[in-house]
Amino acid sequence: MMFADNAQKKIEEYLDSLLARLDGVNERDAQEFVEEVRSHIQDKITTAGPMTPAVVDTVLTALGNPEELGSEFRTNALLTDAKDSRSPIRILPILLRWASFSVTGVFVLLGAIGGYLIGGILFLCAMLKPFHPQTAGLWAFHDETGDLNVSFRLGSANPPAGAHELLGWWIVPVGLLAALVLVLATSQLALWSARKFKRSKVFV
Amino acid sequence: MGNSERVQLTEDKWEVQLRKGCLELAILAALWGGRFYGLEILKRLEDDSDLIVSEGTIYPLLSRLKALGLVNSEWVESEGGHPRKYYALTKSGKQRALEMAGIWARFSSSMRKLLGPLSGRNK
Repeated sequence: MMFADNAQKKIEEYLDSLLARLDGVNERDAQEFVEEVRSHIQDKITTAGPMTPAVVDTVLTALGNPEELGSEFRTNALLTDAKDSRSPIRILPILLRWASFSVTGVFVLLGAIGGYLIGGILFLCAMLKPFHPQTAGLWAFHDETGDLNVSFRLGSANPPAGAHELLGWWIVPVGLLAALVLVLATSQLALWSARKFKRSKVFV
Repeated sequence: MGNSERVQLTEDKWEVQLRKGCLELAILAALWGGRFYGLEILKRLEDDSDLIVSEGTIYPLLSRLKALGLVNSEWVESEGGHPRKYYALTKSGKQRALEMAGIWARFSSSMRKLLGPLSGRNK
């Protein structure tokens, strides 16, 4: 009896660790995944003999580390959600999680933040042009050293003396289109990278 | 790391990638003609192919195939008293399996021709 209690405790601890790795996954899917793993454990124990802690250990070891298993499921689930939406709000948390254990993930996260940031500035620039027609837009000017600087200005401050606008009202359609393309391309590239490089320990 | 170790590592990675690439087809093929639960699918993969999959990872993969609409699932009470989640191919899953099997047959046939002169030399 004591053996069975200890064995059951090990199973519950394993499933708790698994569930703890599923934050961000919708509750129904997370619960269903845990129940499926529980069913697998019960089937394996049934064929392995009486439920002792040693048998449970063997079954759980064959199943794999619960943290890795949970992470694998969570990443797949989040990637599927993100793929459906292409939304930066869905994609950035996945990249953030990836960056927490991988240098490649850090670079992809930084690249994605850069892409979304430029996309956001382009969008704002285009949207603010009608409200600040004299100051918002893409501006070029020479600084004190004579170097040419090109910058997006949102219209809250006057451009530097001698600056000239490059696109004029064209910033509205060009900015909106470029922002859309840039955000979509960044999402696509980030998802492709995450799928290609995500940790996967499929084979033994 | 020596040259031979590096070559060995590259070969191992190549084999893992190759097996990984076949896994989706293998799971769809294992589900052909019936509905099976995770452990049965694992057993079919082990018995009928050389794909020894680490046990837990079959479930995230099945979940992905379900999200892609290639398989569906239902919970069924087992004789042992606990429920099991059974998977079956959907219509598009069957179509995808046939397409992939066709691609596999063409690819392996052309590779067999190319690899003909090499066969039996690596023993």
